[in-house]
Amino acid sequence: MKFSFFHLMPWTDLDETPSQWPAPNASFDAARGKALYDTYIDTMAYAEQCGFDAVAANEHHFSPYSMMNNCNLIGAALSQRTKSIKLAMLGNLLPLLNPIRVAEEYAMLDVMSGGRLIAGFVRGIPHEYIAYNVPPSESRARMKEALDLILKAWTEPEPFGWEGEFYQHRGISIWPKPMQKPHPRMLLSASNDESAEFVGQYDAMIGMTLIIDLDIAAKTIEVYRKTARAFGRETGPEDVLLGQQTCIAETDQEAREIMRAGLEYFHSKLMRPQQDAQRIVLQKTRFFSDEEQREFFVKRLVVHKSRTLEEQIDAGSVICGSPETVVKQIKRLRKHLGAGHININMKIGTIPDSAVLRGMELFRDRVLPHVADL
Amino acid sequence: MSAHSFSESDVTLPTGVVRVRSGGEGRPVVHLHSAAGPRHSPLVEMLADHHAVHQPYAPGFDGMPLHKGVSGMEALADVMAAFIRQTCGKCDLVGESFGGWLALWIAAKHPDLVGQLVLEAPAGLRADNKGGLPAEFEARQRALYAQPARAPVEKRSDAQQMANRKATLTYTQGLAFDDALAAHLPGIKARTLILMGTQDTIIPAETGHLLKGSIPQSHLTYIHGAAHALEFDQPKRVGALALDFLDRGESFLVREKTSAIS
Repeated sequence: MKFSFFHLMPWTDLDETPSQWPAPNASFDAARGKALYDTYIDTMAYAEQCGFDAVAANEHHFSPYSMMNNCNLIGAALSQRTKSIKLAMLGNLLPLLNPIRVAEEYAMLDVMSGGRLIAGFVRGIPHEYIAYNVPPSESRARMKEALDLILKAWTEPEPFGWEGEFYQHRGISIWPKPMQKPHPRMLLSASNDESAEFVGQYDAMIGMTLIIDLDIAAKTIEVYRKTARAFGRETGPEDVLLGQQTCIAETDQEAREIMRAGLEYFHSKLMRPQQDAQRIVLQKTRFFSDEEQREFFVKRLVVHKSRTLEEQIDAGSVICGSPETVVKQIKRLRKHLGAGHININMKIGTIPDSAVLRGMELFRDRVLPHVADL
Repeated sequence: MSAHSFSESDVTLPTGVVRVRSGGEGRPVVHLHSAAGPRHSPLVEMLADHHAVHQPYAPGFDGMPLHKGVSGMEALADVMAAFIRQTCGKCDLVGESFGGWLALWIAAKHPDLVGQLVLEAPAGLRADNKGGLPAEFEARQRALYAQPARAPVEKRSDAQQMANRKATLTYTQGLAFDDALAAHLPGIKARTLILMGTQDTIIPAETGHLLKGSIPQSHLTYIHGAAHALEFDQPKRVGALALDFLDRGESFLVREKTSAIS
C-alpha cells in the first residue's frame, strides 16, 4: 500500500466562531502565520523520513479552515526540502483557475522535483465558487474542458490554440513541459457515481474523502473501475486514494482524546463560516446536476458532523487508535474498498503539532511495517 | 448570422464544367467541400456574412460529370485553380477534410491564387494509416459528429452517395498519406489556420502536428467538443475563429474584445 501525508494548514487561533462567510480576517496575525507555515512545512518535509510515499496538500479560499490558497507554492517549497517523496497536490481547484497557469505551475513542480508530482484536479466544495466568482452551475463543464486543455498543454509537440466554451487561446506552448511522460500522474476527486464516471474516462487515480458508508464508497469505486475498463484501462489498488482524518497515539484512549479535541475545533470553528455560503450555492445553483446528488452531498456533511468518533471510524472516514488498532483499520479499508493508497491527515483542527509528529513516527515504526506489503 | 440567398451556376473550364454555389458579398472565399459532397452549413452562412463565398463542386460529385483525364488530387487542384482564376482571382480558401487536402495542393501549386488557408481536419496526411473513416454506419456517424443533433440531414440518394464515394476515390486513389503533398508543405506561402477536433478519430492529431511543423506561417487550433465534422459539430467556435483569422491575419493572435463592463 501507498501512504500520503496530507496537511490542511489550518489556522489554530480562533477564539470566536466566525458566523458568516467569508470569515473576517481582522484577527489574522502575520507573525503567527509565519510561525505556522514554518511548523507545517517542517512537518510535511518530515514525512519523507517517516516512510510516507507522498506529501500532500490542497487548495481552499477565504477561510481559516486552511491557509493554503495555492498548494503549488507549498509544493515548490517542499521540492527543495525533500529528495524522493512524491508531491501530491490534491489538488488545484480547476474550474476556478486559468488552466494554462495550472499546466505551467504543475509542469514547473514536476521538473523542479525531478518528476515527483502527482497532479490533482478537483472540482472543489461549493462555496469556493463564490470566492473566485465562477458560476457553480458551470463547474463540471469547466472541469472537463480545463482538464482536456491541460493535457494538450502538457503533451502537444507543437504550439497550438484552443477554442472551447470557457477557454480560448490563440497560441499555447508551455515552458517547461513536465518531466514525467506522457504527463504527470493525475488524480481526480469523486464523491458520487457521476464524478466517478467522469474520473474513469481519464488516465487518473480516483480520490475520495469523507466516506459515510463503506458499501456506498465501494459502489462508487466500482463505477470508476467499470468506466476505466470501458475506456481500455484496467485499474488497480494503487489507483484508489482514500482521504482519512487520522490520529495515532500510544493507546486507543489517548488517540481518541486527542482526535476528539481536534475534531471539536474543526467542526465548530473551522467549518462554520462556509456553511451559509455552501447552503446558498447548493440551493440556488446547479452545482450538482440532480437533486439526488445534492442531497447525498448535504447528507454526507451532516452525517459526518453528527457522528461520534467511534461511528466515524466504523464508517471508514477516520483512522484513530494505537498503532495496532490503526493497522486493523487500514486492513479493513483495503479489504472493503480495494484501496491501495491512503491519504492521512493528522493535523485536525487544534491537534498539537507534537502529537502529529509522534503519530508520524508511530506510523513509520509500528504501522507501516505491517501494511506496506498489503 | 443571417440566411443568405445562395445561387447555383456553372463555370466552363477547358477540362469541363464546374458547378458552384455562391452567396454573400465581400472579399472572396472559396469553400472546398468534404468527401460527402457540397453541403450548406452554418459555417458557410457565417462566412457569407462577411465574404463572397463560392462552393465549387468537385467534378464527379452530386451529379456533375468527371473531367476527362483529371484524376488524383494534384490534377483536381489544377482544375480548381482554373476555376478560381476565372471566377474570383486571388481568394482565401476554407477546406473541409477532403477539401482541406485539396486546398493544400492548390496553395502548394498555385500560390499566386491563395491569400490565406483555413483547414478543417484535412485528409490525406494520415501517417501509419492511423484514423480513417469507419466502414460501419453507426461508427462512422459517431466519428463524424460529437454532437449528433447538429449533424446535417442527408438528402442524397444512396446511388448519389455511392457516386460521390467513387469520385472521391478518383482523386484520393485510396491514399492515407500523400507523400508528394507532404514534400510540398514547407514551400506553402499562405498563412494557414489548421483546425482539429479534440474528439476527431478520423484524422489523427499527428496530422495537425505535421502541418504545424511544416508550413512556415501556420497556427494549429483545437476545437473542443468537436469530432471530425468540425463545422457542423461546433459551428460557432469554428466560424468565429475562421472569420477572425480571415479578417485579421496574424493579428488574430491578439484578443480584441473583453467581457469587461464599460
